[in-house]
Amino acid sequence: MKGRPLIGTFAVLGYIIMIVPILFVVAIAFTDSQTLSFPLRGFTLRWFGEAASYTPFTSALLSSLGLAVLSTALALAIGIPVTLAIQRGKIPGKSLVEGLFLSPLVVPELVVGLALYQQVMVGLNQTALVALVIGHTVILLPYAVRVTGASLALADPFVEEAARGLGASPFKTFLTVTLPLLRPGIFSAALLSFITSFNNVPMSLLLQSRNFHTLPITMLDYIQQSYDPMIAAMSTLLLAGTVVIAIVAERTVGFAKIFGGINK
Amino acid sequence: MTIAAEFIGVSQSFGDFLAVDNLDLKIEEGKLTTLLGPSGCGKTTTLRMLAGYGTPTKGRITIGGKDATRLPPEKRNLGMVFQSYALFPHMTVAENVAYGLKIRKVSEPERSRRVMESLDLVGLAHLAKRRPKALSGGQQQRVALARAIAIRPALLLLDEPLSNLDARLRVQMRSEIRRIQAETSLSVVLVTHDQDEALEMSDTMVLMREGTIMQQGAPEQVFPAPANRFVAEFLGYENFIDDPRRGLLTVRPEHLRVAASETEPAVASAGLRLPATITSSAYRGVDLVITTAVLNAAGEEIPLVSTVRRDSLAADFMGHNRGDKVTVYTRDVDLVALPG
Ligand SMILES: Nc1ncnc2c1ncn2[C@@H]1O[C@H](COP(=O)(O)OP(=O)(O)OP(=O)(O)O)[C@@H](O)[C@H]1O
Ligand SMILES: [Mg+2]
Repeated sequence: MKGRPLIGTFAVLGYIIMIVPILFVVAIAFTDSQTLSFPLRGFTLRWFGEAASYTPFTSALLSSLGLAVLSTALALAIGIPVTLAIQRGKIPGKSLVEGLFLSPLVVPELVVGLALYQQVMVGLNQTALVALVIGHTVILLPYAVRVTGASLALADPFVEEAARGLGASPFKTFLTVTLPLLRPGIFSAALLSFITSFNNVPMSLLLQSRNFHTLPITMLDYIQQSYDPMIAAMSTLLLAGTVVIAIVAERTVGFAKIFGGINK
Repeated sequence: MTIAAEFIGVSQSFGDFLAVDNLDLKIEEGKLTTLLGPSGCGKTTTLRMLAGYGTPTKGRITIGGKDATRLPPEKRNLGMVFQSYALFPHMTVAENVAYGLKIRKVSEPERSRRVMESLDLVGLAHLAKRRPKALSGGQQQRVALARAIAIRPALLLLDEPLSNLDARLRVQMRSEIRRIQAETSLSVVLVTHDQDEALEMSDTMVLMREGTIMQQGAPEQVFPAPANRFVAEFLGYENFIDDPRRGLLTVRPEHLRVAASETEPAVASAGLRLPATITSSAYRGVDLVITTAVLNAAGEEIPLVSTVRRDSLAADFMGHNRGDKVTVYTRDVDLVALPG
């Protein structure tokens, strides 16, 4: 940044624009007043207690966690073999397969959601949970394929042949070379998928039902009715959770690697 | 002479492109054989078939006298060094070298002993705990070599192992590999497109072109007597003269002399002398590169190149100018007749 005052200023400005509103939310969560307002009055942890004991939030949190875990697991279960086929397989039409699995990135989520609503919930008479797991898995697949693929694409394409030459069977080669190379990619893909599913609004909005709400949707509903610092406390808790995940991700694989995986 | 491996009428095609065409080749035990040829001539394809990474579309390959044509790589016990080294990035140097030994169930302490022995051979024992990423290109290359040697392979296969190294290290590693080969008396097949590398390192050099062998033999046999124009050009013969009496002759630039007048004594005893015109003269450090034009029997102008060591020039040599009439000549022993 040295010698480039303009760029430096913009960068700082950018951070301020991003971070300041978040700091306001965090500050409000500790305020001792009935409304989301400034200036702050007093200091209390009461809102955290209320958020944690507010049943719609806690049950929605469990729903969101469950949904995120399920769809992440599914996306990886489908995505990893696809990645292997694209990166290491000798299949014809590789780019077609790759394109197919990356397409959810460009198809609007609402369209996918609507299709699932018609086909799965109305057509096949399935629950919102089933439709949501399918919907989220579809959204997560491109991340799973891309991020796991990035870790293989960066590796020397001959390492597996080298292992074979040193005496390892194809299976042993997969276990001792391919899988370890894939591991950081799988880990980043899992974290990224989890966060993406957990924060998702459009798909969840379309496919919710009376007895299955995700946390972001429940929070949206709550804001529309009442306006107190409890919602700020809930947001702060989510923020803390996300920061912890981000720190874990940064410590183990590094952000550059995780996000480098998406735009290859 | 014992044969470590043999290609018998081996072909390999990709689609309808014939990359290796009916190759017959014997790899001698305990010797260093180089496959030499221009890019795309099928060297890597040949080596990969020997290692088991590609199956011949025709013909047979034997290793140690047994048919290995369809044997998977893990059953061949060959040590391969890839051009990109292909080290395992998630393992330390020692773990890389130990990999093949673990697969072979060599147990401790024997395993560690052999890892250190291999690393000692390439002079890298002090880096055993590093990751490949923390090594220079030359060091990575030596780890790859140690990893291949550690399994005591029947043959050591090297695909352009020196091409990623800088010029100085490359020359240094030539003798290094030669030393290791001598110490282990391994049979080595080395792929290269560098003629100097092949000449310096080979016991036997095999010159390839478009999937077929053009000539093979010891450097001392091949270099002074190229079998055809392709081999001659590849080995740095630059001058080709159609002599009505003797057929196609070739002379290396360093053996072609330039005389200002035909009366110089050396010219009189020359095996070949031709009137020529200077077309250019260029300074190249140790040498002076003089390009001349001569007329051939058909009356066409053909270029001839002569390199003269500058320290062999007379003190009063004033240089040549474009258009000067000179005589180019060479000794009889330096003339090579090419068949056909
Ligand atoms: N998998 C493949 N599919 C199609 N063509 C191939 C394949 N592998 C090699 N070829 C072709 O076969 C020919 C020989 O290739 P090869 O890699 O053996 O050449 P090389 O002598 O090793 O060249 P270089 O010095 O550039 O490494 C080339 O024309 C190449 O394009
Ligand atoms: Mg090659």
